Amino acid sequence: MQQFINITLSGLVEGMIYAAFALALVLIWRSTRIVNFAQGAMAAATAFIALALIDAGQSYWIALIVALLSGFVLGAVVERVVIRPVEGGPELNAVIVTLGLFVAIQASIAIIFGSSFQSFPTPFGVRGFEIGDSTIALTPTSLYIIGSVLVVMALLVALFRFTRVGLAMRASAFGQEVARLLGVRVGRMLTLGWALAAVVGSLAGLLIAGGEFIYPAYMDSLIVFGFVAAVLGGLDSPIGAIVGGLLLGLALSYVSGYIERGSALVNVAALVILIVVLLVRPGGLFASSVARRA
Amino acid sequence: MSFLAAATVVSTVAACGGGSDDDGGGGGGGGGGGENEASDIGITEDTIKLGAHYPLTGVAAPGYSEIPTGVQAYFDWVNDNGGVNGRQIEYIYRDDAYNPTNTTQVVNQLVLEDEVFAIVGGLGTPTHSAVLDFLNSEGVPDLFVSSGSLLWGDDPEANPYTFGWQTDYTSEGKIIGEYIAEEFPDAKVGLFLQDDDFGEDGEEGIREYIDDQIVAAVRYTPGNTNVAPQISELQAAGADFVVGFNVPSYTALSQLTALQLGYQPEQWFYSNVGSDPALVGSLLARFSQGSVTDASLLDGALTTGYLPTVDQTDNPWIQQFQEIWEASGQEGELTNYRVYGMSQAYTTVQALQAAGQNPTRDGIVEAIETAGADWQGPVFAPYRYSADSHMGTSGMSIERIVGNGSEEVQPVRITDIGDAEIEEFDGEASAPPENGIPDEESAVD
Repeated sequence: MQQFINITLSGLVEGMIYAAFALALVLIWRSTRIVNFAQGAMAAATAFIALALIDAGQSYWIALIVALLSGFVLGAVVERVVIRPVEGGPELNAVIVTLGLFVAIQASIAIIFGSSFQSFPTPFGVRGFEIGDSTIALTPTSLYIIGSVLVVMALLVALFRFTRVGLAMRASAFGQEVARLLGVRVGRMLTLGWALAAVVGSLAGLLIAGGEFIYPAYMDSLIVFGFVAAVLGGLDSPIGAIVGGLLLGLALSYVSGYIERGSALVNVAALVILIVVLLVRPGGLFASSVARRA
Repeated sequence: MSFLAAATVVSTVAACGGGSDDDGGGGGGGGGGGENEASDIGITEDTIKLGAHYPLTGVAAPGYSEIPTGVQAYFDWVNDNGGVNGRQIEYIYRDDAYNPTNTTQVVNQLVLEDEVFAIVGGLGTPTHSAVLDFLNSEGVPDLFVSSGSLLWGDDPEANPYTFGWQTDYTSEGKIIGEYIAEEFPDAKVGLFLQDDDFGEDGEEGIREYIDDQIVAAVRYTPGNTNVAPQISELQAAGADFVVGFNVPSYTALSQLTALQLGYQPEQWFYSNVGSDPALVGSLLARFSQGSVTDASLLDGALTTGYLPTVDQTDNPWIQQFQEIWEASGQEGELTNYRVYGMSQAYTTVQALQAAGQNPTRDGIVEAIETAGADWQGPVFAPYRYSADSHMGTSGMSIERIVGNGSEEVQPVRITDIGDAEIEEFDGEASAPPENGIPDEESAVD
């Protein structure tokens, strides 16, 4: 029983991390209709900036704020300099450019910060809570992760649903021509979309890193899992991303814990889930419109 | 600490025996009068070119990326002292990031473009497996692979050019299994295994002795960093003695996860590969809030050893390697990984000397098969090299981790793969030669 509880809890916490990353993908998808494969590398870059600050004696919270700000700047710069020239062309071009960026940023991290494995601190404890005599796989750090992801999700929902900026962002993503005719400054909205997505991605990167180990490629598997979670949730629904992330986290944790040699099957299981979702419900579990082309 | 005392005594005995002082000419001239020739690919009158592949980046890089710096330091030292038979060693190592696809590429480059004489100390089971056939079909000596897989030595007919070096994982598993059966007969043992040959070979060895004591065996896949499901299973099975055949980063992850789950088995036992306390300690160091301070998590854990470690500052080999490391002027401290690299380089120089004044690729294989079993060096137990076996050293001690060092709890015992018995090693620890450079006679001329 305790094993079941622990596997479930550990799956939920992992799922929250996938969800955080899926949120960033959803955000960029909603605001630009591009799947950003460089998201992981960009997040890793800001995590290394945070770690450099922490090593220099700054507190975790200052490092976190600086990392998020540099994520914002990085996202905006990437959009203006690298993505803008291919925007409006075939969608595949932009995707290929993000793949190139992914490789370039990861290599730059290795050059600047080195490629060694390093542990990343967490502001909260890494010991599980005790209930009665037994310890459960829920730590103060897990609560911090869960809380942060829920807050970010709420903010995003509010942004898109209740603000003019959110509306303008959605409009620019959906139909640039029409939005422009209606007076939306589409260029700015796209930049803002990228910048915000990079902030969320950066937060995800730092949450994942806390109490774990980082190296330039540490976000790689999360790109895959975050993408599956986002597709599971419908690719444009923040709530869908959270639900998708949690479902994926639980499924993978059970696969890893209850199937013989399950750890090796985790990646395969993620792929199977992705294919099944695409076959059964191509729009994802929470897609807002079925007819939208992908 | 009794081990240190023993080593010191032995060094005196060896000095009295004077083995290395009166045979062979000074400076490794041994060959007797002939001239140096460009006797094979990678050999010129005054150079020998050697190549290697290591993970300098990526998941496996922590620790392992230091090994080639140790090798380099040792070769520099030999070169500064006249080289091997007057030849300078040129050492080229390339990064494969522990990815077999890259290994194939960099080894192709080393063999076909750089035209090395031999590959030395290529690291990793999955990585080196990818080039095993290529090296053997090209006839390139593939010396002293940095991995304890059985692949390198148990079938010399299939892979005549490949030689293992460190104690293989099955022999290590057997020695660990026997120790647990004798010292902890009531322990309920859980195995934490890397899901590849490394974990499988180790499990096979350990099950020969304590199959009935094992209550759970869990496997992790390198790259999947969530090991909570695996550790939960060990906990649920009631394992109170956990043996890990895993790499160092997973030692840190398993400790961290056990802390999260409040899982406290009475004893952890990490196989040699995963147990470097300094590295694991540095990985765990940043987890703040007083929950984890330093290597203290590993304090009291058991592990195995086949080489002296840097904390044994009285050990004559460590003192010699310290001197060589300082002379090389490279950045950083002497670490256990650099000691590993230097020890491997020491064996390499022995092999080159034994291959005679004008080494050939086939000649060096013959030399190792003929003379290798008698070579003394920093490793505790003798090598098993012969025409029938290319397995490396055969024995291990068992040690308890204390702070950043370790103390011996069981002296070196030796065994072999298959159903070979485990025996106490009755040989004596060797001492390094005067200038830290071996002086082997040619075994082929």
